[in-house]
Amino acid sequence: MQALNRHIHPGWLIIAPLLLMVVALYLGPILNILWLSVTDPEPGFGNYAKLTEGDALIRIVWTTVRICIITTVFSVIFGYSIAYAMVHCHQRQKTYMLTLLLVSFWISILVRTFAWLMLLGRKGLVNVTLEDIGLVAEPIAFMRNELGVLIGMVHYMIPYAVLPLLVSMQSIDQRVMDASRNLGASGSQTFWRVYLPMTMPGLVASTLLVFILSLGFYVTPAVLGGGKVLMVAEYISVQLLVTLKWGTAAMLAAIMLFGVLAMLWIMSRFMKLSTVFGGAAR
Amino acid sequence: MHDKQFKKEMLAESAQAFRAGRMDRRTFLALCGASGVAMNAVLAGDAEAAADHVVMWNWGGQSEECHGSAIGEAFTAKTGKGLKFDTSGPLEGKIKEMVDSGNVTADVADADLFNAVSLGPTGHLEPIDYSVVSKDKTLPGYALEYGVSIILYGYAFVYDTEAYGDNPPQNWADFFDTEKFPGTRALYKWANGSLEAALMADGVAGSDLYPLDMDRALNKIQSIKDDSLYWGSGSEVHSMVVNNEVSMAIIWQNRGRNIENDTDGQYKLVNNQAMAMPGAYIVPKGNPAGAAVMDFIATAQDIPAQLALLDCLGMTPSNPEAFDQIPEDQQPYAITSAMNIDKIVYNDPEWWGNNGGDAVNAFLEAIS
Repeated sequence: MQALNRHIHPGWLIIAPLLLMVVALYLGPILNILWLSVTDPEPGFGNYAKLTEGDALIRIVWTTVRICIITTVFSVIFGYSIAYAMVHCHQRQKTYMLTLLLVSFWISILVRTFAWLMLLGRKGLVNVTLEDIGLVAEPIAFMRNELGVLIGMVHYMIPYAVLPLLVSMQSIDQRVMDASRNLGASGSQTFWRVYLPMTMPGLVASTLLVFILSLGFYVTPAVLGGGKVLMVAEYISVQLLVTLKWGTAAMLAAIMLFGVLAMLWIMSRFMKLSTVFGGAAR
Repeated sequence: MHDKQFKKEMLAESAQAFRAGRMDRRTFLALCGASGVAMNAVLAGDAEAAADHVVMWNWGGQSEECHGSAIGEAFTAKTGKGLKFDTSGPLEGKIKEMVDSGNVTADVADADLFNAVSLGPTGHLEPIDYSVVSKDKTLPGYALEYGVSIILYGYAFVYDTEAYGDNPPQNWADFFDTEKFPGTRALYKWANGSLEAALMADGVAGSDLYPLDMDRALNKIQSIKDDSLYWGSGSEVHSMVVNNEVSMAIIWQNRGRNIENDTDGQYKLVNNQAMAMPGAYIVPKGNPAGAAVMDFIATAQDIPAQLALLDCLGMTPSNPEAFDQIPEDQQPYAITSAMNIDKIVYNDPEWWGNNGGDAVNAFLEAIS
């Protein structure tokens, strides 16, 4: 026992059950999916070769990545403004804003998606009003296209963008900004050269969170895209449930997984990722 | 001695609880194990427990109520067995997963006949026992080895009378003609019905549709891509129509009446060239109730059940003997009524079962 203790820290024993659970419940299924992607319907890399056979699959992946990038950019910009306002307003207003933010988490994604149809649809509130006051002759096509998908997704993602930014902004020492002004920097110089760099870990964290969550969007594109905006998550679901091409589904899931891992790896080349996840910048 | 009595009573109690669904199988088995009851005795009890009801796997909502009143009551009266529901929707992938996992909990799935063609030969379905179920009580060609058509639904279209009041569209050629009939169309997202409609619009006769000429169909679909939306569920197309988002829409024909009512007649159903789709009952391999499910399927073929399904769900009978008993007010909305039967075309489940997966993917790629 003592010999064992010398090589293995006893702390491992305490976390061993958890570690085993992670392996069994998380790594196991993932390996299973990777396995499926090279064995179904027949062993080999046939599923991956499909990516090169036609432009269809590549187009679906590209649509997904494009929509996710645009969603991330807008969500993080709006999220940054909201978080900034929350940190710098009075405590009372901040509490209201935080409550509203959290309430939005409790509303089902379906309800939020259909609410946009009521508002911006062809016979929605906005179009009817615009037509009534004579600003437009034909309803504006906000919904049932890529614009509709983006509106729905950005709206859903903003709260997710706010939270990491809020945490990061709250931990900043305000006196640094005072010092910057005191040393002669203008307001905007202080923001761009002092404040923004200090919130960078929060900015990266919220970008990663929003982008990765966006990749899995299914309901919003299906409803607001009018069937013409096909993203990977929906395509995977069709392959699993309708066309029974589980190998293709597993292959796409694997591509997404490796894509995200590669993205994290590239980012880790440029910055300490541990600061993004709350660790100290060593 | 007392111990034994206690164990016996406890097991009898828990067996009843298990049968009534108050106790799950694991707890029951654990209790059996704890009191030292042999495995074969447990399994015998298990089979017996499962055999006093049949579990129907459907899409829930109204169908739960309607399947209960239209088939379940007659089935219980005839056999003394009950009817329970799993309303999670028997998509092909879910049936495959259930059978592959070895934990089959449903006896009969309310599915499409083409599912019987694709899942039967791969060993995921029980063959239909045609000594109990009748081949004559469905349309010819719709009684297959692994599934039998119980109802028909269809793909027809509705149009906006305010947009095309004087010169209404009458067939699929008009549906695909955006010059003569400008406006947005809604088509079914999973290809079924949309492909056949495109081919008929392109001049293929209803009787010569299969095998489908995919390239020709997809070309036609793409010709109206800018003027079309695609729906994935009945409620989705319903809201597209009711909210006036589209001027014409392919719909499940049994929804025609609801749409006409909900739009106060602004939208009108066209059954010309509508495609009859065989909705079928299929049995997952190793179903818990065993052969008893065949009695259930046979009950669903009877004329009273067939007419009750039409009345309750709007699903058209597939039993030819029921065709001339379709009530007057259902005539326009029942696809095989005397009013419609000469205008319709029939879906080929063999083609869809063998080619459906590739067709759906090709369709999705064409519209996205």
